[in-house]
Amino acid sequence: MDLNIRIGGEAGQGLVSLGDILTGALSSKGLHLFTGKSYMSRIRGGLNWFDLRIADSELFALKKYADLTVALSADAMEILREYTSPEGIILYNADGEDKDRTVYLNFLEIAKETADLKVMANSVAAGAIFALLGYEPDSLFVYLQKEFHGKGEEIVRKNLKCASKGYAEANKKSLKLKAPGGVNASCDYTSGASAMALSAAVSGVKLVSAYPMTPGTATFAGLAALSDKYGILVEQAEDEIAAVNMICGAVYAGVPALTATSGGGFSLMCEGLSLAGMMELPIVIVIAQRPGPATGLPTRTGQEDLKFAISAGHGEFARAVFAPGTIQQSYELTRRALETAHKFQTPVIILTDQYLQDVQKNIGILNPEYNPIDRNVSEDADENYRRYALTPGKISPRAVPGGKTLVICDSDEHDEKGHLTEDLEMRNVMQRKRMSKMDLLKSSLTAPEFYGTENAELIFICWGSSYGPCREAVDKLNAQEKKAALLHYSQLWPLDAAPVSRLFGKNARVFVVEGNYTGQFLSLLREYGVTGKCEPLNRYDGLPFTAEFIIEELGL
Amino acid sequence: MKLSEADKQPAWCPGCGNYSILETLKEVLDELYPDKSGLVLVSGIGQAAKLPHYIEANVFNGLHGRALPAASGIKLVNHTLEVLVTSGDGDMYGEGGNHFIHAIRRNIGIKAMVHNNQVYGLTKGQASPTSEPGFVTGIQIHGVKSFPFNPIALAIVEDCSFVARSFSGEKEHLKEMMKAVLKHRNGFALLDILQPCVSFNHTNTFKWYKERIKPLDENYDPFNREAALKTALSTENEIAVGIIYRSRRKSFEDSLEVLENGPLIDRYEKNK
Repeated sequence: MDLNIRIGGEAGQGLVSLGDILTGALSSKGLHLFTGKSYMSRIRGGLNWFDLRIADSELFALKKYADLTVALSADAMEILREYTSPEGIILYNADGEDKDRTVYLNFLEIAKETADLKVMANSVAAGAIFALLGYEPDSLFVYLQKEFHGKGEEIVRKNLKCASKGYAEANKKSLKLKAPGGVNASCDYTSGASAMALSAAVSGVKLVSAYPMTPGTATFAGLAALSDKYGILVEQAEDEIAAVNMICGAVYAGVPALTATSGGGFSLMCEGLSLAGMMELPIVIVIAQRPGPATGLPTRTGQEDLKFAISAGHGEFARAVFAPGTIQQSYELTRRALETAHKFQTPVIILTDQYLQDVQKNIGILNPEYNPIDRNVSEDADENYRRYALTPGKISPRAVPGGKTLVICDSDEHDEKGHLTEDLEMRNVMQRKRMSKMDLLKSSLTAPEFYGTENAELIFICWGSSYGPCREAVDKLNAQEKKAALLHYSQLWPLDAAPVSRLFGKNARVFVVEGNYTGQFLSLLREYGVTGKCEPLNRYDGLPFTAEFIIEELGL
Repeated sequence: MKLSEADKQPAWCPGCGNYSILETLKEVLDELYPDKSGLVLVSGIGQAAKLPHYIEANVFNGLHGRALPAASGIKLVNHTLEVLVTSGDGDMYGEGGNHFIHAIRRNIGIKAMVHNNQVYGLTKGQASPTSEPGFVTGIQIHGVKSFPFNPIALAIVEDCSFVARSFSGEKEHLKEMMKAVLKHRNGFALLDILQPCVSFNHTNTFKWYKERIKPLDENYDPFNREAALKTALSTENEIAVGIIYRSRRKSFEDSLEVLENGPLIDRYEKNK
């Protein structure tokens, strides 16, 4: 059983704070949680919403419809009403007579009357929501006590009073929802962006340089929050060009370094990416996608930069591109990206998006212990050292400046020593050496994950953050005995399309689910030899996929 | 095609000011850094940016205009390294202008030596950000219309910790300035080196510079910002050379809490 709570209102109304209170308070009840944000690119006004799903089984995605819509503003009431399920309730922050499954409570007025403080309206609302869900308010009280502890006893007391009042007022209402009970799920929750930041910190990233750009900023801010604990230098660069060149300098000097941006910022980084390819520098770039082109929809989600990520930068060079599908994978693949970059001395890109950056789920405690990756730095470099030495294994020993040898790197074509050369024979030798890394990368790919029924009749091929919605669609379809499965790619480059080809030959409808207009992954699969019948299933309106959206699109 | 034999000598024109800059820098570095392992030369693209290849040092020869951010990354990871940027007027003041502004703003301990010949050499003779109005080229066929960028004045306005100018034709002066730059210890240091381009700049010739350069007075106080700015903005038909401005700002490295326990490079394995 699961239930979706949606809090909608204007930017600046504190709806995310209310969402945080509810997430914190409900997380101690042993429920499975999944939260997400949908917001406009503005600081005040508009219509934003925060979704919080609670369930007695694991959740993987957001939902289209809400069971409890909490409307903080008239716009929220007007617009979100029709996205409330027929059995759901709307809790409207206004004065009025309850009707049409709408419950009226004026949170501001109640807060003013109860505590003489309008800022405590969120505590009133949280109390009311607990009542409508039929939960005892204890865990809310515990959370508020903990949360406001630092602000003094008076503030704690007033918040508790407001929450109690909200609870009591809503409890008088006859409309109630049936909410799931706790199942000992973890009380530790995190977002995709935070999981990625933690992974980078424990893996040994020592320098982060970036220019703020939504939704990449969440990773940047996550690393800033961890910087004191893990000893990370976090620098806000003057632009993305500086950011990428700074991390190129940093990895040359010897420590793992990372930058995070979105498509527009990555456009500015392309020359620096190419530099890392030429100089064989192990940089990692996080691209948190949002819909384009140009400024596009700054606060929305999309998967439009796949082909850009695999081909960005002038000239030809080896790279790997990862695309985590879950919060857990955001953690695991960030480390893997750093390890891959350092093992093969070449740039690596992590493709995430606004949706996966912002969603939160109680996946349990992620290992916070500092466990730096192997930088593959050669200890026995001497005066005969050549940075680009030709070796049977194709990867030249890597030394860093300040040691026993001089380290010479050049963006021009260069010789083994690293000095620029216009010897065209040497050019061929060096280009072959660099490109041979593609074969090495292919030999250590992260295999795509298959989930669902063998001999499925409906198969979803997906990549990156659409894993969760596809997985929920598969479960729903299988519950209706429709035989569904998915194949999810979390490494997109180099691409091994063979697992897709193996899906054919069965009598199945195959869909390629991706958040773009042109079907980029589908066209890549075609390029890499997939000939079977595939149907595109795209979304590009800036909102994330949901199981409902996917199933509706099937037109069954 | 094997062209290695044709690719051995420096790629500069005979008579280029870069030769004397290279020779002088080699002498200064040999004197100050007999062990080159702690010395990193960083450059972008252009004739001046090729210089690191002709010197014994660690080298990061990156992208056009991007020497400063790369050098910043290196310095921040290991601030015990001496990080020296060799650049030209196009690379530093044109393509890399934004980084120039922000490196000075941070006051990061990088030494920037800018070979300023007021013209683009590598791309064969177009105007540079420091070309004078009226300078005619194959692109600016009616002459340059923009005003020249004044790196000295901009650096002083930003309270740069060390601002100096010299001339490639005055070897002793250049040597003295290079030494002062390398000995500077509290942040960003700029040395703008005027240099004739024998192939593409027939206006600002060796003789032209020789007639105009004027060493600063013995009593000149480089810590006086107003006087320094006045010197930088002087419209007299003379060019001041010497240490034009100094400030006592703390370097970026010294102000970062994260570097209090030593360079990042030394704290990788144990994270102490």
